Amino acid sequence: MNASFEEKSVWIQLISMVGVLGSYFVVAAHMLSRGVMVVAAFVPLFFVAVVLLVVVLVAGHTVVAIASKPEGRDERDRLIGWRAERNSSWILSVGVLTAITGMVLAIPNVWIAHLLMLSMLLSEVARYVFQLVYYRRGM
Amino acid sequence: MGTAAVRNQIRRLRFESGEMTQQALAEQVGVTRQTIVAIEGAKYAPSLELAFRIAAAFRKPLEEVFQFHQQEEK
Repeated sequence: MNASFEEKSVWIQLISMVGVLGSYFVVAAHMLSRGVMVVAAFVPLFFVAVVLLVVVLVAGHTVVAIASKPEGRDERDRLIGWRAERNSSWILSVGVLTAITGMVLAIPNVWIAHLLMLSMLLSEVARYVFQLVYYRRGM
Repeated sequence: MGTAAVRNQIRRLRFESGEMTQQALAEQVGVTRQTIVAIEGAKYAPSLELAFRIAAAFRKPLEEVFQFHQQEEK
């Protein structure tokens, strides 16, 4: 794969996040559908997901670093990162505003918490996708 | 205002500089090889600083390495 270490890192983060946190949301959705409405019930699952995410990220970056020499970020990597963030950050903003509206409407905290986490996940995934598009198609 | 494109002669200048590799040029100007690939393929317009560094690597004036082409909208 003719890609810089930064681009490979973005691929690792995208796949890890979608795989691990995506699995968390599948299980959490199942729990919510069964009527689990206590935030504390989701904490162990979330803790496992975060630990797993860290392990997968470290393992992925270690493998890539062994296979190809890590290089620092250059001006193109930084510009791609900024542009991707500018194009994706609105998703988190919408999630936060929707969560505030939900709190005003007294929606259960478990829904608010998951709405915030989901918007954070979607915002990050969109950022990684934009980065990969800019790396492949140019700016 | 129309679209603008920055074209360059890096590939030719590398060839004329004793088949300088993209990696060698990248190391000389302090970027990754993929950034040189993107610049050569006109997928990325470098910053002014990087453009000057690339020109200096070939010991050429900036305008001999990079050319600005503006196309009017139809």
